[in-house]
Amino acid sequence: MGFTDLLSKYGAQYFQALLTTWRLTAISFAGAFIIGILITVARVSPIRPLRIFGDIYVQIFRNIPGAALLILLVYALPYLQIVFPYDVCVTVATILIPSAFCSEHLMSGMNTISPGQIEAARSLGLTFLQMIRRIIIPQALRSSVLPMTNLLVATMLTTSLASQVPMRPRDLTGIVSYINTHDTGGVTAFVISAVLYCLTAFAIGKAGSLVDRKVRILR
Amino acid sequence: MKTGSIRDYLYEPPGPHTRKRIRIITGIALLGLLVLLGLIVRQFSVTGQFDAKYWSFFTKWTTWRFLGQGLLTTLEAALTGSAISFTLGFLLMRGKFQGKLIRGISTFLIEFTRGVPTLLFIYFFFLVVPKTGWKPSAFWKITLPCAISACGVVAEALRSGVNAVPGGQREAALSLGLSERRTFYRIVFPQAFRFVIPSLIAELVIVLKDTTFAYVVSCADLMQNAKVLISNYDAMLSIYLVVAVIYILINYLLNTLSERIAGSQRRSVQMIPETNKGVAAHG
Repeated sequence: MGFTDLLSKYGAQYFQALLTTWRLTAISFAGAFIIGILITVARVSPIRPLRIFGDIYVQIFRNIPGAALLILLVYALPYLQIVFPYDVCVTVATILIPSAFCSEHLMSGMNTISPGQIEAARSLGLTFLQMIRRIIIPQALRSSVLPMTNLLVATMLTTSLASQVPMRPRDLTGIVSYINTHDTGGVTAFVISAVLYCLTAFAIGKAGSLVDRKVRILR
Repeated sequence: MKTGSIRDYLYEPPGPHTRKRIRIITGIALLGLLVLLGLIVRQFSVTGQFDAKYWSFFTKWTTWRFLGQGLLTTLEAALTGSAISFTLGFLLMRGKFQGKLIRGISTFLIEFTRGVPTLLFIYFFFLVVPKTGWKPSAFWKITLPCAISACGVVAEALRSGVNAVPGGQREAALSLGLSERRTFYRIVFPQAFRFVIPSLIAELVIVLKDTTFAYVVSCADLMQNAKVLISNYDAMLSIYLVVAVIYILINYLLNTLSERIAGSQRRSVQMIPETNKGVAAHG
């Protein structure tokens, strides 16, 4: 099937799939970011159980394959009488995995802050939470824009997990496997999705380096 | 887990008042985590997932041999895939230092493989490649797409390693009369390679994770063998949990190895610390 045939027959579905991938990416990244910050606060807090919990959390979700996590959520959790709809399972999986990487980036972003700043904050009488909120987090965020940009792209790639469950509407990967099993999409069907993925990644990368140039801390 | 990090100088040794507060909050946190753990255990026992029939077959030798066979295939696919992706990545990295046309093609291929999810490559090998007349085995249908999907990241990691080798090294070699080629292979690349060993191990982890999709092409890897066990023993939760733990442990060990090497490199003489971070960090 040629490019024009494919677009006239499936164009609307591709558009829907692109929006689905974008939506999943945005929701997952936002969720991963919030959880990533919370886990990072736990990992640097003086509360030992929270530190250990944060470390274990990061190691689990950094190292578990996406497919294994999704299968656990979709097929194994119902045995514990915990049943989520497919799209919730996908979203949870695509939040949990990037959140671990987010915390790792924030940790290494924090490690660029010099001890002198902590000492200064302390001698000014800031409490721990004030210091975290006013000194640590802003700097950690500013120096981790580029890793976060990479994380956003990685999150987008992770959302292709959605093609592994019968979720509607389909995402960019799901639509290709649908077209190729029901029709003869051939190489072209893949190229369309691949180009849409790549353009999104390209736009994210450009936006990321723009933001980075604006907020980067020159040391 | 991380020593010498910001965790250690974020606060000074607490006084008696703060110590008391920390103890109280620690108690509350511990209680919260225990309640969470208790809820999980309760849910397992209420739904009967602790029943012996779901766990007893793990004492059998055959269960572990079967899982081990799958694990071997997984490791074989991950190592083969990584070897291919390192080779492809090396070629792409070399392409980045060539003339305009080849550099353009290399940049395009790197950005393309970095921007497309592995699953799309896997479906390509699963659905389109067999129609062209070339029929690779299930093993290659999972290994090749994983390798292709990783090669762009490998190329960028290698390139950042090459760029991190001080320019004086190249100049010195050239002024000693070595050809450009010999300079690269004898002087620059060996040093660059040392810088990027941690990134390459991290990339191996990513390839290993991607091979989990082997069930798409029905290659008998760890995940696929787990599915067979599940249909034999009718025990979904316990088997998937054990398999997930196996994956997590292997990847954890590899990541720890990568961090160890990166750490010892940073401590040794005049290594450039920034090269080992960031390029190949995502799964």
